[in-house]
Amino acid sequence: MIFSSTMGAFLWWMLHPPRQVGEAAAKARHSLFAVKKILVPTSGFPYSERGVELACRLGQEQKAEIFLAYIMEIPRTMPLGIPLPDLELKAKEALERADSIVVLHGLKTDKMIHRARIAGEEISRIARENDVDMIVLGIRSHIGLTENILGRTSDVLLRHAPCEVIIDKLPGENY
Amino acid sequence: MNEVVQPKKVISGEPKQELRRDVTIWGSYMWGFADVGADSYVALGLVIAYVQGAAGLAFALAGIVYILIGLAYTELASAYPVSGGGPYYCLRGLGDFWGFVGGSALMLDYTIDIALFAVASAGYVNFFLPYITGHSIDYFAFDFGMLHQVNPVWCIESLLIIFFLMMLNIKGVRESSLLNEVLGGVTIAMESLLVIVGFVFAWKPELLVDQWVHQFPSFHNFMYGSSLAIISFVGLESISQAAQETRRPATIIPRTSITLVFSVFIFALSLSILGLGVLPWQEFAKHVDNPVAVLAGALPMIGPVAGILAAMLGAIILFISSNAGIMGASRLAYSMSQFKLISSWFDVVHPKYHTPVRTIMVFSLVGVVQTFLSFLSPSAMDTLGNMYAFGASLGYTMVFIALIKLRFSDPYSPRPYRMPWNIKLKYKGEVVYLPILAFIGMLGISLILFEVILTHAIGRIAGPAWILLCFGYYAWYRKKMGYPIFKSLERDWEKEQLMVLTAAEEFELVEEYKSALAERDKLAGARSK
Repeated sequence: MIFSSTMGAFLWWMLHPPRQVGEAAAKARHSLFAVKKILVPTSGFPYSERGVELACRLGQEQKAEIFLAYIMEIPRTMPLGIPLPDLELKAKEALERADSIVVLHGLKTDKMIHRARIAGEEISRIARENDVDMIVLGIRSHIGLTENILGRTSDVLLRHAPCEVIIDKLPGENY
Repeated sequence: MNEVVQPKKVISGEPKQELRRDVTIWGSYMWGFADVGADSYVALGLVIAYVQGAAGLAFALAGIVYILIGLAYTELASAYPVSGGGPYYCLRGLGDFWGFVGGSALMLDYTIDIALFAVASAGYVNFFLPYITGHSIDYFAFDFGMLHQVNPVWCIESLLIIFFLMMLNIKGVRESSLLNEVLGGVTIAMESLLVIVGFVFAWKPELLVDQWVHQFPSFHNFMYGSSLAIISFVGLESISQAAQETRRPATIIPRTSITLVFSVFIFALSLSILGLGVLPWQEFAKHVDNPVAVLAGALPMIGPVAGILAAMLGAIILFISSNAGIMGASRLAYSMSQFKLISSWFDVVHPKYHTPVRTIMVFSLVGVVQTFLSFLSPSAMDTLGNMYAFGASLGYTMVFIALIKLRFSDPYSPRPYRMPWNIKLKYKGEVVYLPILAFIGMLGISLILFEVILTHAIGRIAGPAWILLCFGYYAWYRKKMGYPIFKSLERDWEKEQLMVLTAAEEFELVEEYKSALAERDKLAGARSK
């Protein structure tokens, strides 16, 4: 019995290999494996935290490093270095929440708070300086009165980002 | 030793013509089984003759080392799916010189394979001799001066088999893989039936225990026999030799190799334990030429028919194994000449038959000489078994060293299968996996090599003499061509690896390899900044 079942099990396993992956499919699969650094801008809203979760799942298999960035957009009417303790506290809290998501996935994380006039440009600069492979940006599901579906940050990012950009938008209330 | 020398032209090592990939999963398994599976037909009698009641232990110990060798080959063949086998891994890992040494050890095994299996095939044919002539084959043996038990009849039978195979190969017999697959399937069914019927109806555990307790061999005999037991497991190389013709090799080879390793191990262990629980060891010692037929003949109910069937099947499968030796030698010579380890003189094909006539003739004739010389010794099978064990243990030792070295020098090549038990560490900024089992396997096979050198009088002289003879040729050839003897020619392994994986249609691995190389280059760029 032992002899027959062992031999049978080996032969069955041998004769049932996994399916072959075609050239294009393999390229597509491995283009994701090459993503080793993912930048996730967060604003502390649920939709941007969903973006963090999405980034973690995309980077899980290849153990990607997740860069969490909170960009404080300072209007041109104010000096860039002006003290904004409330906003800074909000930024720290947002980054802590995002960090706790990354820690759950066991991935390496790097947190940063930056000040800029235009958030999209700053995100692109961070991506360039850190040699980031992908940016994941969660955006609000509600579309305002303007004709543009994407906000200013998404628009700038799509134009200037040096790497792959994923915009994550949930369906709005009408859907 | 592993220094690189710039030749006049970079040698890519790429084959002149791509081999067609038409070996299926079953074909790949049978390719190996036709070679390794036949070993039990030879080794059972030889090993039991020395290790007596401890045969099970000897086969188990050799089998454990063999499993480790099998896992090493599985990793290497799936990572480097080319037809060179062991010498190719040595060449990539250790450089030209050691690639040649590995190749010459393996070439010894292939030529011995031709001789040993032709002798063994004739041995199974001789099972029928008493029915025809009324005398067993021993009747024809005689003493001649200093020579004892010279058996001209058996020698002539064996030589005729080799000449027949040589002519067949020169004329370009189209190897029928279907025949191989059918015969392999019949062999597995036959051996399985033998084991099941034997254990259920004939096995006497008390006989096995009695032989273990009262017929335990001396330490010297155990060392001798256990080192000889490794020949039950030689031939795994053939799966990696066929890697370049196997469909999806990186996916298929790990499965066929692992199944082959364990199925042969189970058969070898089962047959030895069954054998000593059915017959006293002296019966096997008396019939080293056809031990499986003797065992089958002793089984109740099916015995008379099974004995004859086992003898016929043994003769045929050993004949095919002998042929595999000729084909293996040709493939190996072709691969070695591609990498400038031997002259391209061996590559020349017959104008009419389109076969590598020189390789076939040269190595078949080496097999003829080995057969003739072995019959001048008291036991031809034993002498050839000695040499087989020497070549295999030396070749496998080098394969383990190459595997360990390649883990450090080529961590980028994707390894669809990796030997288990590794220690992850950083080496020159790269993550490498130190293979613990490869070290254990290397120690095990080195111990067997040591035993062979220590206890096998013929193997210890003739084995190293063969390597030295081959080295003489290598040194002459490399000097003549202006190539270095101990250093390596420059080769573009990365380009070759990409070509090999692309040709194998292992696209996932191609992408994985490209990513690993890109990552390496990126890191190197960052470091240089």
